[in-house]
Amino acid sequence: MSNRLRVLDVALPLARARRRLLPRRVLWAYLFVSPAILALLLFTVGPILFTLWVSIHNWNLIEPISQMPFVGLENYRYLLTKDAVFMRGLRNTFIFTICGVGTNTVLGLMFALLLNTRLRARVFWRTLFFLPIVTAPLALGMMWAVLLNKNYGLVNTLLGLSGIPQQPFLSSPNQALACIIAVAVYQYVGYYIIIYLAGLQGIPEEYYDAAAVDGANRWQSFWHITLPLLRPVLLFIIVTNTIGALQVFDIVFAATTGVAGETSGGGPAGSTMVVVLHMYNTAFKFFRMGRATAMAVILFVIIFVVTLIQLRLLRERV
Amino acid sequence: MVKRQLTAPAIAESISKYLILALAGAWMLLPFFWMFSGSLMTSKEVTSLPPPLLPAQPQWHNYIDVTRVVPLLRAYLNSLLVSGLTVVGIVFTSSLCGFAFAKYDFPGRNTLFMLVLASMMIPFFVTLIPVFYIVKQLGWLNNYAGLILPSVVSAYGIFLMRQFILDIPDELLDAARIDGASEFRIYWQIILPLSGPALATLGSFNFVTVWNAFLWPLLVVQSRDLFTVPLALNSLRTYGMEAQFHHLQMAGTAVSVIPALLMFVALQRYFVKGIALTGLKG
Repeated sequence: MSNRLRVLDVALPLARARRRLLPRRVLWAYLFVSPAILALLLFTVGPILFTLWVSIHNWNLIEPISQMPFVGLENYRYLLTKDAVFMRGLRNTFIFTICGVGTNTVLGLMFALLLNTRLRARVFWRTLFFLPIVTAPLALGMMWAVLLNKNYGLVNTLLGLSGIPQQPFLSSPNQALACIIAVAVYQYVGYYIIIYLAGLQGIPEEYYDAAAVDGANRWQSFWHITLPLLRPVLLFIIVTNTIGALQVFDIVFAATTGVAGETSGGGPAGSTMVVVLHMYNTAFKFFRMGRATAMAVILFVIIFVVTLIQLRLLRERV
Repeated sequence: MVKRQLTAPAIAESISKYLILALAGAWMLLPFFWMFSGSLMTSKEVTSLPPPLLPAQPQWHNYIDVTRVVPLLRAYLNSLLVSGLTVVGIVFTSSLCGFAFAKYDFPGRNTLFMLVLASMMIPFFVTLIPVFYIVKQLGWLNNYAGLILPSVVSAYGIFLMRQFILDIPDELLDAARIDGASEFRIYWQIILPLSGPALATLGSFNFVTVWNAFLWPLLVVQSRDLFTVPLALNSLRTYGMEAQFHHLQMAGTAVSVIPALLMFVALQRYFVKGIALTGLKG
């Protein structure tokens, strides 16, 4: 009994002291988070609400926001029923996303598997695939526009060597979007190779040894070991790549501005127009902020829904 | 693993493996090869039919000529300044905030952390117009503040730093407190030095992102004095439409990609880790 009291004699003042000290530490913590949180509120959270609010008004960026005329859902109605360029942009964005994500997912896995085998100078080979990721999409888009030039482009020269006739590439409405997809795959496939490689290195070697002992061939061990164990990685790649692809802008802007007389990108004849590029033009060329923000909201909702569907489908499939 | 025997199929497989890699590798290098090769050609050579693969006589003066067409040197300094300061800002705000989330218990912590996680999901285009308006109202258009300040916070950075700092033992912090260190001193002298790898990952990743950024500078900057490298490149392109400027466009592009490439080669390990981490947490 007396022992216990003695412990309390010491413990109580300590607890009291800690309680007195705690608010100080709490103050420090608030001080530490405040720069980041304030910046997030100002540049991310606030702007989302602002975007929603502007999307139900007409606004030209110059008139005071207190005097924006309220138009309800008119901007949305216009975009979905009357804006042919927006529809074209949506279609192109979907085609770009489906083809781009599909190619990145398959090609990325193939090259990751290749780079994960025994190789001489592996770091060298890996670095080749990683180079475009750190290079500005603008610079690479410009280079590809030159390489794919219908007259003096190097790609046409190479095709000529193998007897294939000259192709118009970026200056043809039929081929431009495919070229943009190819450039995007070129730019980003290395990123997915890195993620695949990290995933592949997490698979224990013993699994393959055990399968080999059981007489499995390489295709079988790929199908029954590698692929199932890569599922989380595959899911991540498909989801993030889709989210990124739906926002494509830089590559289209870089590779199509100035080609075939287009001044604002998205050409020829709107064949490479994508949603974010149209939003950019609507906002900063025509100053229709209401419509532009409504476009942003629609695309955001699409991204959100597509992500949810993908997560559900890919998670459930056995 | 058993050493594979040198049977005929094994050799054939090995050859085809390297052949595929070499072809794909050549394709990956093609734009780089052409920008460096083309940057040393005369304007006639670049657009001749068929174009030569290498210049007959390297025209090194192209690299000087290009600075007469666009303010490339100035753009270089601007880009270094903007990328450098943005990275310092991101590293500072992220580590400080991540530290507080990892090591302090305070009312509202979980709510604020959810806010950070939610911010990671927000695409740039949703906030583009409002942020432009805010920057305009603050009078930051066409100056360094507008280029730098909206980017000095990174939700992903906060998350990364929190995860890393969680693993630093509490005993270290308590020992410092017993020695009378202030909380900020703990951050400065214990947390920061121990977070080296995470800071390198965050820093190198964001340096490359900011160095390559195009859309935001395009909106914020009007005067040529403030051009960043991508903006200088973009204005070269207006000239590049005319064939006699093609070689200069290549020279400008070649110069512009070098810092990010150097950064990548130097910090490849951290850079790759940053990407792999984002992939594996999902």
